[in-house]
Amino acid sequence: MITVDKLRKEFKKTVKEPGLKGSVKSLFKPKSKKVIAVRDISFEVPKGEILGFIGPNGAGKSTVIKMLTGILTPTSGSCTINGKNPTQNRKNYVKEIGVVFGQRTQLWWDLPLRETYGVLKEIYEVPDDSYKKRMAFLNEVLELDDFISSPVRTLSLGQRMRADIAASLLHSPKVLFLDEPTIGLDVVVKDNIRKAIEHINHHEKTTVILTTHDLADIEQLSKRIVMIDKGSKVFDGTISDLKSKYGQIREMYFETGSKNAVEVLGYAKHFNLGDDDLSVETEGNAVKVRFNSSAVPVSDMLSYTLGKINISDISVKDADIEEIIRKLYEQGVE
Amino acid sequence: MKKIKRMLKIHRIFMAQEFKRMMEYKGDFIVGVIGFFLVQLSNLMFLWIIFGQIPNLAGWSVNEVVFIYGLSLIPKGIDHFFFDNLWSIGYFTVRKGDFDKYLTRPVNTLFHVLVEKIQIDALGEFIMGVALVCASVPNLHTEWDVFRILAMIFMIPFITLIFTGVKTITASVAFWTKRSGNVIYMFYTFSEFAKYPATIYNRFVQNIITYIIPFALTSYFPALFILKGENPLFNLGMPVLASAVLMGTGVLVWHRGIRAYESAGS
Repeated sequence: MITVDKLRKEFKKTVKEPGLKGSVKSLFKPKSKKVIAVRDISFEVPKGEILGFIGPNGAGKSTVIKMLTGILTPTSGSCTINGKNPTQNRKNYVKEIGVVFGQRTQLWWDLPLRETYGVLKEIYEVPDDSYKKRMAFLNEVLELDDFISSPVRTLSLGQRMRADIAASLLHSPKVLFLDEPTIGLDVVVKDNIRKAIEHINHHEKTTVILTTHDLADIEQLSKRIVMIDKGSKVFDGTISDLKSKYGQIREMYFETGSKNAVEVLGYAKHFNLGDDDLSVETEGNAVKVRFNSSAVPVSDMLSYTLGKINISDISVKDADIEEIIRKLYEQGVE
Repeated sequence: MKKIKRMLKIHRIFMAQEFKRMMEYKGDFIVGVIGFFLVQLSNLMFLWIIFGQIPNLAGWSVNEVVFIYGLSLIPKGIDHFFFDNLWSIGYFTVRKGDFDKYLTRPVNTLFHVLVEKIQIDALGEFIMGVALVCASVPNLHTEWDVFRILAMIFMIPFITLIFTGVKTITASVAFWTKRSGNVIYMFYTFSEFAKYPATIYNRFVQNIITYIIPFALTSYFPALFILKGENPLFNLGMPVLASAVLMGTGVLVWHRGIRAYESAGS
């Protein structure tokens, strides 16, 4: 059980004018301004849930994760994980959590992968017999056998990520924090990693907090998402909530032989739509119209289009989650 | 007791990792060893020339100067061998956000950083120190007794912690400033003063290296007792006190620093 209550983090940032001159000036007369990276965020995560934690670059996701894992000390507010405060009694706390930062590695770079697990076993004081069982389990789920004897520097990114996830799970943590675990991976490896996370969550009731920019991760793994933007929480709910709340956007595709079809149709003028509710793209004969179905019903859109020009092929579909989130990232949440 | 046992075990494991790491790149390791002996040889020749030129220095005979010089290198070498990793805190680890790793492991962060790496080059200082002390001893007019020999051995761990303490405090500055490599360097360089009898410097420098950045306590003052039997209370007590104060301050500043640690964007 994770409880986050009005968590806030401020950084002091030195402001410099550009160039060498600016750097020299700031050496003698430093100017700094306060930056609020995380603005009083609250949420709860019950045991065994996989929470998708999303937001645009720089929204403050990693800062939140770093406060939850005890790396950063909050400016104010609190977070409690299984009744423990990450920055008090840190050593005790981190035994219960596993952390993977997709952009970093905790493996011993120069040595065969197996050596890393040997050291982590001692650091986390895992007894011999549970270590053997655990390694067998992780081998099965993450398929480490192929490269466990290779030096870490020779691993591919996908192998390294699997190895890092295994390293974070060696001590059977109750909570797993994954910060962009699928970054830079190909489709197949992504899929394997998702399955592994799902498997571990299912079998061990491990609570997982996952940040990602790949919404397929979220769709496959988590029922619930928390979205933050500019340090504030902007959405907290299930994916279907998100779709019904923001998902009135529809996409209509058609192909037409008529030239100037878009000008002839003049959607914006005819339906009196603003830029927020309508966008039209053309590529050769194909036309893609994205529109807000609460402003123009789908049936009106179809009949108007079909009545106005010759159409060879037409389809309408719901905007996918990616589309919704793109819109939210671009425009913010009202 | 259990805690100490665990710390020793972790230390041993990290050391083993380091040796394995060195063996991983055999060519580099062998060239390193050859280079190491070449450097030691040239250092030895340089010192031989210098000490050949001075019959005495501020009332100290050349053998006493060699003793002090050698004695200063032993704890410095030990600190350099075991605790060199503090430099990377000052230069890279904090700045690049790699300090995150230590904070997510159930091991005291300072201890983890200290024992994570070893610096094999430091054996040069250590061997040189022992060699110089051994070379000077037969020619000293010192009345050796068990107490003086024991005092010398007893002092070495404490003196080592003077070096480690200064490095810990200065490395911790990086938690606030992101980078403090040059701060460590500046303070560490004061240990060069420790190689010679403190009386060759003026009063001002003497006060600094005795009370502020107390590297004179690492060799000159203990040598005053070991060689001449002078004032054991000050000459042995002060280095012990200084090591406790410096290392204690280091631990405090380090843990304050962690609260100010800002990581790096990822």
